[in-house]
Amino acid sequence: MVINSNINNVKTKTIGEIFSKDPKIICRHVDVFYGDKQAIKDVSIDISSREIISFIGPSGCGKSTFLRCLNRMNDTIDTCKVKGTILLDKDDIYDEKIDVVPLRAKIGMVFQKPNPFPKSIYENVAYGPRIHGLSSSKEELDFIVENSLKDSGLWQEVKDRLNSPGTGLSGGQQQRLCIARAIAVSPEIILMDEPCSALDPIATAKIEELINQLGKNYSIVIVTHSMQQAARISQRTAYFHLGELIEVGETKKIFTRPKDKQTEAYISGRIG
Amino acid sequence: MNNNKPKILTANEASKIVESSVIKRRKKDARLKTYGRIAIGLAVSFLIFLFVSIFSKGIPGFFQYYVTLDVYLDRDRLDPKGDLSPVSLYNGDARSIVIESLYKVINPKGRKEKKAAKKIISTNADVRISKMVLDDPNILGKTIPITFAVDDDIDSFLRGYIKRDTPSSERRINDTVIKFVDKLSAENRISYKFSDYILTGSASRSPEIAGIKGAFIGSMLTLAVCFIIAFPLGVATAVYLEEFAPKNRITEIIEVNINNLAAVPSVVFGILGLAIFIGIFGMPRSIPLLGGMVLALMTLPTIIISSRAAIRAVPPSIKDAAYGIGASKLQTIFHHVLPLAMPGMLTGTIIGMAQALGETAPLLMIGMVAFIVDIPGGVTDPGTVLPVQIFMWADFAERMFIQKTSSAIIVLLVFLIFMNAAAVILRKKLERRW
Repeated sequence: MVINSNINNVKTKTIGEIFSKDPKIICRHVDVFYGDKQAIKDVSIDISSREIISFIGPSGCGKSTFLRCLNRMNDTIDTCKVKGTILLDKDDIYDEKIDVVPLRAKIGMVFQKPNPFPKSIYENVAYGPRIHGLSSSKEELDFIVENSLKDSGLWQEVKDRLNSPGTGLSGGQQQRLCIARAIAVSPEIILMDEPCSALDPIATAKIEELINQLGKNYSIVIVTHSMQQAARISQRTAYFHLGELIEVGETKKIFTRPKDKQTEAYISGRIG
Repeated sequence: MNNNKPKILTANEASKIVESSVIKRRKKDARLKTYGRIAIGLAVSFLIFLFVSIFSKGIPGFFQYYVTLDVYLDRDRLDPKGDLSPVSLYNGDARSIVIESLYKVINPKGRKEKKAAKKIISTNADVRISKMVLDDPNILGKTIPITFAVDDDIDSFLRGYIKRDTPSSERRINDTVIKFVDKLSAENRISYKFSDYILTGSASRSPEIAGIKGAFIGSMLTLAVCFIIAFPLGVATAVYLEEFAPKNRITEIIEVNINNLAAVPSVVFGILGLAIFIGIFGMPRSIPLLGGMVLALMTLPTIIISSRAAIRAVPPSIKDAAYGIGASKLQTIFHHVLPLAMPGMLTGTIIGMAQALGETAPLLMIGMVAFIVDIPGGVTDPGTVLPVQIFMWADFAERMFIQKTSSAIIVLLVFLIFMNAAAVILRKKLERRW
């Protein structure tokens, strides 16, 4: 259904390289409205397989809104309308035939505030595989839980208390639990909405290390307010301002030689 | 004329003004505290007054006076057919056997005295003997001591409510009866003990044998019906309105009207029940099923409002987490929202139920005020409920019903306290925040 030939034939004001050779998600001319207010204006960008891309920009610039379009979390807001095309592996995720359940299983999400379910650590991780029927036996489920917790670097800390409440962990541990919960359903992409903003520097360092690890197997889109964080962990960076995607490019280039004046002003700390 | 030109205060001036206002503010605080204390003191004193008055009247209502007589259980007179069937025992002559054994003790002379003596023992004495015989036929043909409730007037006399020095013509019992009662107490045959009837008997015009069991069971059945109808319906409505309903004019109107319904006087629901359930659907009146349905109508708004509040209080981050991992709306609601909202919903429901338990007016409308002696065996048997029983007893003229009314109120209060305690415990248990 998608016309492949003109997908890379885009007119956009965005500076820098929006295209990718191996795109996982392709967004073209995405507009988002909350009621009458337009929150995202004509954003086009590719997200590659197994890359870590960070969205930066001042508060209210729409980066979180755009992130939430990628797994249709905006569906839960009644007044929110999305226009344009977002393709995941060349399928339009806003197509009427697309069910959000498998979509969200493919695109996991980690939120700003750690939000483990008020259940045990085990149940938190097992919930996703259970509702999607990813395991046929208790052993398989145990295996998934153990692996997910190992991948999120939490296993050593919680293996002896899997049945204690997930909300009893520290903030950083809770956030890693949420990451474990997201990767337990074997997603292809993980969206992270300021995952470290509620954490102390040590916990933040652990999460960043974890993101670096995960970047080898997943596409990770991370929204962050910390430019150092974006510089440390991401391969590409996208700068948003007032709902527009101003500049995209390799993180190194963006931070050393930004082409746009607004980007330069932001990363040098003059606005935002 | 003052020079009112605005100017910037120096730190010194400002601190002086602040200091003087601080004293005023402190006084205001103190005054508010005092008002609060006075209000609480008043409320507590009313509560104490209520409890003292109910308990001082109601506790004696759980006890009553008995007279012990040696009764010869004549086989032929008690069981004329000889088959020990209830019918045969009913046709027997238990009453006169009891009266005769009373005569043996007090020796009444002449017709007048005998007539007076008959008044001493409760009319229920024959039923008591029939029951004893049915339980254990071996006692037939023996002479055994049996305790019988005394008549309510005698009871009131023994309690001192009917005074000896009141002129005979103004008393409900005459001098002859008093003489006999004195004789019985001189022989230590009068005893004061926990009533056999208050908790196990049902409605009766004779207060000494009237009890609340019928009304209690009626209340339980009515509440059960009310819960079974109102809870699922209320929760389902709340879930729909909170999670599914589009926000538009119609849902707004529904919302406003649910809030209005919560404030509608309960008697209106009674009339509604009368008009619809009895008038249109032709349901029999006075049955707990009907009572429960009417009370469910009344409780629904309370349950819906509290359930909606509980659902709204579930943190959106939990819903986000569930959606984010790919749970469907239904899964999110059933796995996360409802379990978290359950304590709040149950508390609201139990408060609604407690309200329904104490409700009288709507039940009067649908005929649950009928005088029903039988204890209801199911939701379709005619019955009454505790508050209506209290209402009826408070209306009766016999002196002893005053205490019985208070006793029934105590039972109702204990029932209510028990329900509220259950609500608190449930809440504590389910609210275990992980």
